Amino acid sequence: MKARRVKGLDPAAPLAGELQRIVAVRTGELLGFMPAAADPAQVQALHDMRIAAKRLRYVLEIGAGLFGPYAATAMRRTRELQDLLGEIHDCDVTLPRVLALAERCRAEDVATILARAPEGAEDLDPALSVHAPHAAAHRGLQVLATHLQARRELLFGRFLAVYEQLGRDDFRGRLARATADRGSPGAPADARPPG
Amino acid sequence: MAKAREIPGLRAETPYAAAAAATVRVRAQELFDHAEGVLDTSDIERVHDMRVASRRLRAALEIYAPCFARKAFKAVLRDVKALADALGARRDPDVQLAHLEGLAGALGEESRPGLDVFAAVLRDDQATGNAVLAQALEAAAAQDLRGRLEALARSAERRAAP
Repeated sequence: MKARRVKGLDPAAPLAGELQRIVAVRTGELLGFMPAAADPAQVQALHDMRIAAKRLRYVLEIGAGLFGPYAATAMRRTRELQDLLGEIHDCDVTLPRVLALAERCRAEDVATILARAPEGAEDLDPALSVHAPHAAAHRGLQVLATHLQARRELLFGRFLAVYEQLGRDDFRGRLARATADRGSPGAPADARPPG
Repeated sequence: MAKAREIPGLRAETPYAAAAAATVRVRAQELFDHAEGVLDTSDIERVHDMRVASRRLRAALEIYAPCFARKAFKAVLRDVKALADALGARRDPDVQLAHLEGLAGALGEESRPGLDVFAAVLRDDQATGNAVLAQALEAAAAQDLRGRLEALARSAERRAAP
């Protein structure tokens, strides 16, 4: 996902003002993925939202010390969201691979069993299936796939809860006010409280 | 995860481009400091730390994009992205293998053969990722990525003057 361009940034202008504008755009980008990302089937929207969270987090990592205390809190909240979306993404990437592998093992077993069956057999001897090459692996692959799907659903529920909490905490408004707060002029970045 | 190093001297009134130069220097140093032993698959934290450093460097380049000489910036960003992607190609199977190992204990011995089949696939991914990373590290050295990052920082310093 390409980042939205922040227009009119001036290399000679004071850092805090330019970062404030970047934070505003990146915050809008992040929150703009809702409500689309509230649909658990919208895998791409969730993935893009994770990228947007990462972009906001890194701007805040650079700028948090220049702003009011809530900027550091917002950085932690954004990272929490990013981590959660990352875990969901891992499930979305891994589950289809496990299912494909399980299917491949099954297809290989079917081919092997058929090759072992006597030519002209009227029916299949069940004993042949017991000794299929991947017979022992099927259970573990199914258990893993089930675990990944259940974990994904649980994490998605947590994601919704975290997002709703951001709304209740007025994340956008408080972050906007924090980035407008310059504290004491001339204070070095790391002299501000972490929030 | 390695904590980001402080950028010395950043203040609210620091010119955006001066901050760009300082940030890129620190983040580039972080990246190359983590490069040693990164191809060693027995210590997965090294590649993790370097990947995090590559993400921070990439993010810094994007945040400060207007401060750099445009043509040089595009080429450096492309190369940093390539290195970050290569680090990801190695790191992702590292993480999945560690996660799978943790699951194996919890899911019981009956599930072990199936998990082993998937682990073999992930180990192939890890070996491929390590080869990709080795190539990316060689390319970064051959194309003097470090020197070009320093040149980019100098281009930002020149733009910091009003």
